[in-house]
Amino acid sequence: MLVAWNYRYRNSLIDRIDPRARFIFSFAVLLAATSTWNPLLLAIIFIISILWYASAKLSWQETKRGWLMISILLFTMIVVNTIITGGGAGGVVPEGGQLVWPAGFNLFGRHVTFGLTVERLWFAVAQLMRILSISLVFIMIPYTMDSRAYGVTFRKLGLPDRLAYTMELSFRFIPTLARNFQVTLDAQRARGFELDSVKGGVFNKIKRIAPLIIPVTMNAIVSSEDIANAMDLRGFGQRKRTWLYELKFHWWDYVVIGFAVVLLAVVLYLAYGRGMRLFEVPQWWYGLFK
Amino acid sequence: MYSNEVTKQEKKPLWRFGTKEVVYAAIGAALYAVVTWAFNVWQIPGAGNVGIRPAVVIPMFFGIAFGPIVGFITGFVGNILADLISGYGFWIWWDLGNGIMGLLPGLFSVLIIDFKAGRSILFAEISVVLGVLLGMGLAAISEMWVSGADMNTVIFANFLPAFLTNIAWGLVLLPLLMVAYSAIVTQSGR
Repeated sequence: MLVAWNYRYRNSLIDRIDPRARFIFSFAVLLAATSTWNPLLLAIIFIISILWYASAKLSWQETKRGWLMISILLFTMIVVNTIITGGGAGGVVPEGGQLVWPAGFNLFGRHVTFGLTVERLWFAVAQLMRILSISLVFIMIPYTMDSRAYGVTFRKLGLPDRLAYTMELSFRFIPTLARNFQVTLDAQRARGFELDSVKGGVFNKIKRIAPLIIPVTMNAIVSSEDIANAMDLRGFGQRKRTWLYELKFHWWDYVVIGFAVVLLAVVLYLAYGRGMRLFEVPQWWYGLFK
Repeated sequence: MYSNEVTKQEKKPLWRFGTKEVVYAAIGAALYAVVTWAFNVWQIPGAGNVGIRPAVVIPMFFGIAFGPIVGFITGFVGNILADLISGYGFWIWWDLGNGIMGLLPGLFSVLIIDFKAGRSILFAEISVVLGVLLGMGLAAISEMWVSGADMNTVIFANFLPAFLTNIAWGLVLLPLLMVAYSAIVTQSGR
């Protein structure tokens, strides 16, 4: 079983930006997008996110698995809950409103009345812009960040040394543990272990995982003792750590951080200081349903 | 026999994070990521951001065995790593929820002396219910803030699928891991 990191250098604009600046930007977008339902502000944030994502030069082939997961989320939240049942718009969209099909419509020869309102449909668009803005900036992280940089990035963002080192160490354990997992799976299968068997009730199916999870976990715990002893012998934690992978800010990183801070500050000011926080429908949207 | 008596007399410091804890947390996180990734093919259809994960027992067990900090890091960092190797992105609120699923059992770790005693297993099972309730509850409620979902969506699309599957895995697999670990404790005198 081979674990492949999704990162590779693509000579893109994002590759040149410091990982700390990228995280600050991503969290600024997250906070900005979740502070407002105003269509104009959401549209601006959405466009910025698209440009940010485009600057990473990611292909559809690489990211399709992540997008599939987001599509399931979007389908459940927007199509099922907001458009079909109307539940998803509760609390944000006021009751009542203008019906999209006031006289109903014919479906396979039967007259159907459907209570979808113009307001609820716009809410679906706003929800789509908000979730996609956040997804665009966060889904690209595994593809654009070198796995060696996570520990030092979180350390430099203020995480304690030991915590950042734990993160760094866990990255290094992944290939070994994946190999151990495969060896255990093969060994158990050779003994007649049937992971995919559909026989038995729910609890039997859950218990069937035990012969796989227990040896893998116990092996990992036993081997960690030796690693901890070796680290203690080398004086781990006695002095401040240095990192093999050094991070250095360039002028353009300050520009990215400055832009992120200004974006967040402006959105927060408009949302909370100028009343642009609440849900509203643009007038031109009503015009489409006359 | 001697090693068991030593284990019984030891008083566990709840918030210690020394070299051993650093390694346990790192191993736990990597293990959680690998097992989650291996089982990623089992997605719950129609449930937002939720997959079927037998691996959720790993942060719970690491919490019970090595304390709340190790449990939290195993869940939090493990979920980040699992999403990274699966190509799912970076979802901090679900990472925190997974961290809490390890932290809560970790708070019960001081009550667990003999890992195969009925009383210890009972405490562990209670900690699983509380951990999953709080962890998945927090992660699901955060979708209200992030995606603008209403309470119905949060409960039925996010919380319930994650809560029910995680609790089933935790309640069945955690006692089995505890009994297996008890044998290691006895053998090695940990």
